[in-house]
Amino acid sequence: MPPKSTSSSAPSNSVQSLLKSYTDTTSPRLKLIDTLLLFLMLSGIIQFVYCILVTNFPFNAFLAGFGSCVGQFVLTASLRSQVNPANRAEFKEVSPERAFAEFALGSIVLHFFVYNFLG
Amino acid sequence: MVSPWRFLPFLGFAAAALAKSSTGESVLIVLDPDLYIENFSRFFDGLEARGYDLTYRRPKDVYPPVIEHDHPKYAHVIFFAPEVKTYSQDITPQSLVTLLSKNTNLLIAVGTKATPLTSLAAEFSLILPPPGTPLVSHFPERDTPATVVPVNVSNPVVSEDLPPVWFSGVPFAFGNNPHIVPILNAPPQSFAADSDSDSGADALVDAANKGGEGLWAGSSLGLVAGFQTLGGGRATWVGGVELFSDEYAQKPAPNGGKSGNEQFASDVAAWTFQETGVLRVDDTTHHRVNETAPRDKYTINEHVTYTMHVSKYNPTSAVWEPYSGIDDMQLEFTMLDPHIRTALKPTPEKPGEYSLTFRIPDRHGVFKFNVDYKRRGWTYLQSTTVVPVVPPRHDEYPRFLSPAWPYYAGAISTSAAFLAFCALWLAGEEPKKAKSTKFD
Repeated sequence: MPPKSTSSSAPSNSVQSLLKSYTDTTSPRLKLIDTLLLFLMLSGIIQFVYCILVTNFPFNAFLAGFGSCVGQFVLTASLRSQVNPANRAEFKEVSPERAFAEFALGSIVLHFFVYNFLG
Repeated sequence: MVSPWRFLPFLGFAAAALAKSSTGESVLIVLDPDLYIENFSRFFDGLEARGYDLTYRRPKDVYPPVIEHDHPKYAHVIFFAPEVKTYSQDITPQSLVTLLSKNTNLLIAVGTKATPLTSLAAEFSLILPPPGTPLVSHFPERDTPATVVPVNVSNPVVSEDLPPVWFSGVPFAFGNNPHIVPILNAPPQSFAADSDSDSGADALVDAANKGGEGLWAGSSLGLVAGFQTLGGGRATWVGGVELFSDEYAQKPAPNGGKSGNEQFASDVAAWTFQETGVLRVDDTTHHRVNETAPRDKYTINEHVTYTMHVSKYNPTSAVWEPYSGIDDMQLEFTMLDPHIRTALKPTPEKPGEYSLTFRIPDRHGVFKFNVDYKRRGWTYLQSTTVVPVVPPRHDEYPRFLSPAWPYYAGAISTSAAFLAFCALWLAGEEPKKAKSTKFD
């Protein structure tokens, strides 16, 4: 996002510095997680807008699709907070491997319910 | 109750040439002590000639009983006792109602005197004028007393083109009961009045003011009125018994020629004794389109065919014949309210069949096929068939619908993203450890 003019230089400077510090200081792991979170959020928004503007029929399909995004987002967000080195003190007894295993198990259970509910 | 068509087998050979009622041929005639059989010989002989078994009885006789073992002994009762005030126990006006509810047909004559029958008439929504006020008309000019009135006949219940009918007796106003079938209405110039002096009609004015019914005058008054119960029994009220007498049958009509009394009396008896205007529902079936057998239940939005067979009784041959002449019958598909109400038309070239194909509404529940055909002068046709309507079974409708593809895509892409994420995460295991140590 390059700055367009000098008049907006102050806000774009801060956005740029935010992006720069994010790029520099965030581990690739967390970037991977953030990519997934962003994707889930966009997918959920698209489905919600479609439901509002076009149709909510069949409603169970909407609940399943939207619920899978929300559920996966929550699980991924918890994984992110558990594997974030900044939160190491908070989750002393939870190793990143255990956090990932819990995340994977939770997701599989979630998807099981989602596909049951979809059709 | 024995259904009428059970009589068919022995009716067939016993009296194939004779006209018969659809409900039986035994008739009890309760005759006022002041009336003589000979004076009504044309009417009674006419009934006998049409195959009825007549039994006579005075109102105070105890034999023969009308109801034996709670079962009516006679198919029809003629009650020509307009002046008697006390009856033997089994033919009181109240027991007449019991008879009617057991599908015995009644032909009742009332007169100008107040008798228990007068109050019974009120139960049939017939409002009689005060006692002693017969029908009077000074038109057309004639040599009879003003209380003997020629009445023009025009009613689908009786034969067409009948000459005027002589009548003397009381008229009645009609209450708003839908089961009344007016058969003979008073002439427009006629009114109820004290017979000795037309001007002294104070009693009538008082009664009209009290009852709020208006004066008994004009063509809306009934002289002969039928009444059909929901169970199919018929009761006919006649304002004067002389209508059936030989004297009136032989009396020439005011414009010359024969009076219509004899034919009219016979037609009224034919209607009352369920010879004419008798219909019945033979059967009703329903099935899915492209099938023949009825289903236990139907699914919403299915196309269903409903078929009904109607017969009409033919009194000349005493058989039930398929009848396609009803063009205003309606079928209702009802769950509390009619969800569908539509015309049930006769099927062309299939006598007696009425058929309709329609789509079951998008609503499940316990529905009824309902036909309720009530027309004046005709037997009421009623038929109700209960069918449950259920939603489609799990394998009877598409599971995946095109409008929902964003939701399916959303769910599948979430799973795909999850799998891809796991793969990348596990693939990046080693560098992650190196990097995380760096960040520590």
